[in-house]
Amino acid sequence: MDNFGNLMAGFGIVFSAYHLALMAAGVLLGILVGVLPGLGAPNGVSLLIPLTFTMDPVSAIILLTSMYWGALFGGSTTSILFNIPGEPSSVATTFDGYPMAQQGHATHALTLAFVSAGIGALVGVAVITMLSGWVTQFALKFSSPEYFAVYLLTFCSFIGMGSASPFKAIVSMMLGFGFATVGMDGISGNTRLTFGFPELIKGISFLVAVIGLFGLGELIQTMEEGLRFEGIHARIRMRDVFRAIATLPSHIVTLVRSALIGCWMGITPGGPTAASFMSYGLAKRFSRRKDGFGKGEPAGVVAPETADHSAGTCAILPMLALGVPGSATAAVMMGGLMIWGLTPGPMLFIERPDFVWGTIASMYLGNVMAVVLVLATVPLFAAILRVPFSIIGPMIVVVCFIGAYQISGARLDLWLALVFGVFGYLLKKLDYPIAPMVLAMVLGDKTEDAFRQSMIFSKGSLSIFWTNSTLVAGIMVVAMVLLFWPLISKLIQRARGQAA
Amino acid sequence: MQNPSGTLLSRFSMEVGVACFTGLLGAIVCYGSTEFGTGWGDAGPEPGYFPFYIGLFIMLASAGVLVQAFLTHRDRQEVFLTREQGHRILLFFLPMFAFVAASMVLGLYVSLALYLFGVMTIQGKYSAPKALSVCLGTIVVFYFVFEKWFQVPLLKGPLEAWLKIY
Amino acid sequence: MSRIKLTATLLASALYATAASAAWVPEKPVEFVVASGAGGGTDTFARTIQSIILKYKLMDAPIVVVNKGGGSGSEGFVYGSGNGADPYKVTFGTNNEYLLPLVAKMGYTADALVPVAALALDDFLIWVNAQAPYKDAKSFIEAGKKAELKMGGSQSKDTDQTLVSMIGAATGAKFTYIPFKSGGEAAVQLAGAHIDANVNNPSENIGQWKAGMVRPLCVFSPERMAQGPKVTKDMSWGDIPTCKESGVPISTYQMPRTVWLPTGVSNDAVAFYTDILKKVSEKPEWKAYIEKTSQTDRFMTGDALKSYIKQDAERATDVFKREKWMVQ
Repeated sequence: MDNFGNLMAGFGIVFSAYHLALMAAGVLLGILVGVLPGLGAPNGVSLLIPLTFTMDPVSAIILLTSMYWGALFGGSTTSILFNIPGEPSSVATTFDGYPMAQQGHATHALTLAFVSAGIGALVGVAVITMLSGWVTQFALKFSSPEYFAVYLLTFCSFIGMGSASPFKAIVSMMLGFGFATVGMDGISGNTRLTFGFPELIKGISFLVAVIGLFGLGELIQTMEEGLRFEGIHARIRMRDVFRAIATLPSHIVTLVRSALIGCWMGITPGGPTAASFMSYGLAKRFSRRKDGFGKGEPAGVVAPETADHSAGTCAILPMLALGVPGSATAAVMMGGLMIWGLTPGPMLFIERPDFVWGTIASMYLGNVMAVVLVLATVPLFAAILRVPFSIIGPMIVVVCFIGAYQISGARLDLWLALVFGVFGYLLKKLDYPIAPMVLAMVLGDKTEDAFRQSMIFSKGSLSIFWTNSTLVAGIMVVAMVLLFWPLISKLIQRARGQAA
Repeated sequence: MQNPSGTLLSRFSMEVGVACFTGLLGAIVCYGSTEFGTGWGDAGPEPGYFPFYIGLFIMLASAGVLVQAFLTHRDRQEVFLTREQGHRILLFFLPMFAFVAASMVLGLYVSLALYLFGVMTIQGKYSAPKALSVCLGTIVVFYFVFEKWFQVPLLKGPLEAWLKIY
Repeated sequence: MSRIKLTATLLASALYATAASAAWVPEKPVEFVVASGAGGGTDTFARTIQSIILKYKLMDAPIVVVNKGGGSGSEGFVYGSGNGADPYKVTFGTNNEYLLPLVAKMGYTADALVPVAALALDDFLIWVNAQAPYKDAKSFIEAGKKAELKMGGSQSKDTDQTLVSMIGAATGAKFTYIPFKSGGEAAVQLAGAHIDANVNNPSENIGQWKAGMVRPLCVFSPERMAQGPKVTKDMSWGDIPTCKESGVPISTYQMPRTVWLPTGVSNDAVAFYTDILKKVSEKPEWKAYIEKTSQTDRFMTGDALKSYIKQDAERATDVFKREKWMVQ
């Protein structure tokens, strides 16, 4: 139990008024950044880094990680209340969170989201605490074929997300892949599908698409039905909070499964976004109330939130131990580490145990603090919704476009958001599922890169996905099982039927 | 075709329209991918390989949607949009379109003020001073949050250049 | 007390004198355009300069840093040159400014920006996994002649792949190049022994080297790197042989960290920024950055920089032509 002793030493470092104040400040700033569309956690953290130049590294990392937790929670708030995911990893939360809020269960949805996120984060930190010794060895086993297998697994776990027409689901997902291929191709260095527009070289950001498809598309639909904005009552009543917490034990299976997925994706590192989508897909797959998903099923909030946060916290471990950032935010923090004169890598655990264990200890406290603070600030953000719609409607439009512009400061993105808004409205009205498009846009180019890197490794032989390691073969088997699960479950049922 | 009164667009025509549009997107993706090789080279797929088949799949699936539309929606005379709904959407969409177009020239701050002011006074029937104060308040808040606090610049136009803050 | 006052007045008058003599000073916020994402090498470079300018108050106008890393950084150069001769857009990059347009259609041409200064040279080394049998560059090259070796690097048709191609052409060894998103990814792939070698910069591999997972074979610089403190038990940066002395006939391959302005800005504006960057490069914080990232401290400007760029571009063009990467 060497880790335990180290952790206690870490708590000793963190427990000071200065550090606790930094933590609170970081969480509050993070919530703000997460709530403002377009200002995600990576952006917020990189803006804080200059402030940390003069700080001691432990204080600096506490500030940055706390901001990260705050941003993750803030992102869920807007997903549920406005249907605008503040963070890519909270896209999956909108699927059921927003319908719940529309039905008047905003408090319930928010509480479930925050508490399960908090549980996910704590499981993540606990896993980090236990694994920090040998995780380095495991993560080093990951090469391109393994990455491809993980992404494939995510897609497979997501297939069959209810839709009226399988053709429409295919159109939606393939369009997502198509948008993801626009821009510079990382493997050949060519610029694809830009048709001579220099602004397209950087690609079409999925965040722009999400702002258009979800934010603006939803607004157009609200407008069509007349100026009748469903005022979402998000006053947090303590009674509702406790009632929501009391339902948690019924989600225990979802919680455990999602936390495990999150830890695994955070460490390996598939990242929080893949984790939340995968967890949502599986929760639906194994739920007895499949039809409720997408219409306000509580488990549809619990699953992505738990996985998102446990992946987010676990992503810190490979960053510290290997210099492999498990998420975009972790990549920015790693830049910060170098500026403070620390070198991420296995030696960090030996050279600066005070830093490593101080960080881990602060993650326990920071997440608990974030849950409390975010619950306390929700009424503030929810109050916005009591403003008359002729003010708040155009205001949301403005915020959406500002968010779209913020992502990379490109004028073209304003037009793209508008086009995606109209497109999203049409697709939604014609019962096209939109989630597969977003998933394909998020993971499409990564999947293609990993596949083509693997092909360079194997000189064009597909067998690399079975023979490279037992790890890749194992993941591929699980992916295939999930892909054909509807078929398999039917076979099992038939076998049972015959036996009976 | 006989439309029920007040129907602006029928569901069937929208199904067909959107399917044709996605099919067109697929064709564009296919065409764009032929700029680079679309085959399977020595080192696996060439740069155009994935986009080409993605485009192909989009076209095929769009054709599937089209067929389905003809099979299920043709004779049902479902309404996609009534005249009144269309009117409401245009009232919302046109100012939004103008806002984006204006921001290309004037920058986001000025055009968002014009947009908010216009929508609030004309559609929301607020008095001009009230609308003006909301606009100014929004600009000040955005300016401090984005430019000063987080230091992420928003799109600016000639007015900001004249004021020498950009 | 009076002494402090005296120095303050002297300093103020000195500042006034420089301000008066400089024909151009910024009157509104200056944008630092970073041709890489947040956290990348160019980002650290730009933000270090920003922090030094702020600390020593080298410039009165505020600085806004914007990351434009899309398309291998081309997004930054398109943005930096896209507003005409705007002296308020200072773009930070590497040699990618003049190499990217050679291999792909980028939406800007290399002469759309003028170089202001280069502040550092980042070195390239051959790294292998610590368990690999090669003890020096020579045995590594010999192995490459017998069987094809897998080399990883960051991006495609970029500095890493160019160097790999040059090594192959110069020695006859055969390599398969596998492009990853970043040098950091290539470093981890090497530590996991998925690839045989990479040609990372010192800062990209130092963590793995310290931990004894990878090993440097040689450095592509004319002379050995600065000695510095020991990195591992028995080696420091200065103990790594140059590639030339270990039998790889490429004496120099370095990547300049560069600062650019749009073509057409006044000479006064160029002079203003040159002066500030020169001052930055003399501060202790700059030296600390150089040491931390194990780069070579080299300030170049004016004609010296232009001829350096010309030479660098010509050499890369040779490789691009041989590999048929040149854009039509």
